[in-house]
Amino acid sequence: MKRRIKLISVVLALALAVVSFSGCGKDTIVIGSKDFGESVVLGEMFAQLIEKNTEIKVTRKLNMGGTFVCFEAIKNGDIDIYPEYTGTGLTAQLKMDVVGDPDEAYRIVAEEFDKQFEITWLQPLGFNNTYTLAVTSDVYEQYGVETYSDLVKISENLVFGAEHEFFDRQDGYDGLVAFYGMKFKGEPKKMNTALKYQAIGNGDMDVTDAFATDGPIKQYNLKVLEDDKGFFPPYYAAPIIRNETLEEHPELSGLLNQLSGLLDDEAMTELNYLVDVEGKSVEETARDFLTEQGLI
Amino acid sequence: MTNLMPLILEHLMIVLIAAFIAVFIGVSLGILSYWVRYLDKAILWTAEIIQTIPNLALLAMLMIIFGLGNVTIIAGLVLYALLPIIRNTYIGLESVPSHLKDAARGMGMSRLQRLMKVEMPLSFPLVFSGIKLAVVNSLSIAVMGVLIGAGGLGYPIYRGIQTGSVERILTGAIPVVLMALILDYLMSKVEKRLVHKGTRG
Repeated sequence: MKRRIKLISVVLALALAVVSFSGCGKDTIVIGSKDFGESVVLGEMFAQLIEKNTEIKVTRKLNMGGTFVCFEAIKNGDIDIYPEYTGTGLTAQLKMDVVGDPDEAYRIVAEEFDKQFEITWLQPLGFNNTYTLAVTSDVYEQYGVETYSDLVKISENLVFGAEHEFFDRQDGYDGLVAFYGMKFKGEPKKMNTALKYQAIGNGDMDVTDAFATDGPIKQYNLKVLEDDKGFFPPYYAAPIIRNETLEEHPELSGLLNQLSGLLDDEAMTELNYLVDVEGKSVEETARDFLTEQGLI
Repeated sequence: MTNLMPLILEHLMIVLIAAFIAVFIGVSLGILSYWVRYLDKAILWTAEIIQTIPNLALLAMLMIIFGLGNVTIIAGLVLYALLPIIRNTYIGLESVPSHLKDAARGMGMSRLQRLMKVEMPLSFPLVFSGIKLAVVNSLSIAVMGVLIGAGGLGYPIYRGIQTGSVERILTGAIPVVLMALILDYLMSKVEKRLVHKGTRG
């Protein structure tokens, strides 16, 4: 019996050691991402860029449960870097009003994050992954809608559905329908991000929110409408990094800023399509892109 | 998939560490609720309430305390595993026939002696089935770990869901199912041997 207890405690101690040491160490930085393809690809890109060009070890915490988890984690120092969007920083994190001008939005989040959270916004990557609305090709053919204002007139015939986060945000469902005066049929459907496109593909709903650079828009033949009155703020993506990490590794800023402007809407949509629709692995997609750009 | 093995091992490690901690805490609380009568309802209710908190909500709250990563998912698994272990320990101890308890008392055994020599061995099958249930459950809950930055098989499964790739989902899910079957089998074996030894001795 004694021997067994001893054995068990040794095994337990070893196991604890393994689990707790994976990810510690002085010269390790942790890169996070949210739980959708684009964010995971960007996180992987940051990771490879750092691994290939510096001595720093990188731990990946990709695909974490949304904005809340990533933001809490970076504030607590559990992660050092993750890709964030200016519009999200402004409305979800700073709880400020929507700002339409992209440069102004970036200036505000950069200043406020530094002041309030000691987090630095590096240079924007280039694309504007704004929220938008998409309808099925059936709806488009039947009604010929082009803009959000067109949608208002027929909204009572259409079912709206989106991921849970869209209903909790200031720049989300409530704000949108109030701003445009839309009135959709019945209660809106709420679901997991990943299942959204499947649901609209199955015909369970007619209108959904989408990110402008989403890969599946092409796959499901959806029509993206124009935000003609400008409700959604700009969502330029940029790496954000803890000031503390940046002080320890000042070279990271120059390194990650090399990505600045390289990813326009088209380039990002293409990468998302490769990952989300064609099923190419995230590692390979990130590596191919960085190699093509001569960064690794 | 060449890099699946480390994920499987990490997944298993997370579940086993959580199981050890949960057994220690759960059995202790089970004994406590058996010994201290007015605590039993409070302890069991608390465990039941914890069980009803949705997984992601519990993990998000734990993340604020424990930070990101494996420690948080282990804490979550421990909390979810407590109910079956506490309840089975408690019911097991309660259901030891009273004439046996009386006999042990009549022989002049102390409370601790009665517990270790009579009551625990007799309630062992129930306690063990509670542990088995907890471990098998933990294997599937641990998949959610990826959402709070822990390792394990959650990554391929969630990426599979996001890309609509059944193949990727299965890449992560099949090892989870296999581990559940294997652990269940191994634990049943251990259970038989221990029970056998218990009744013989």
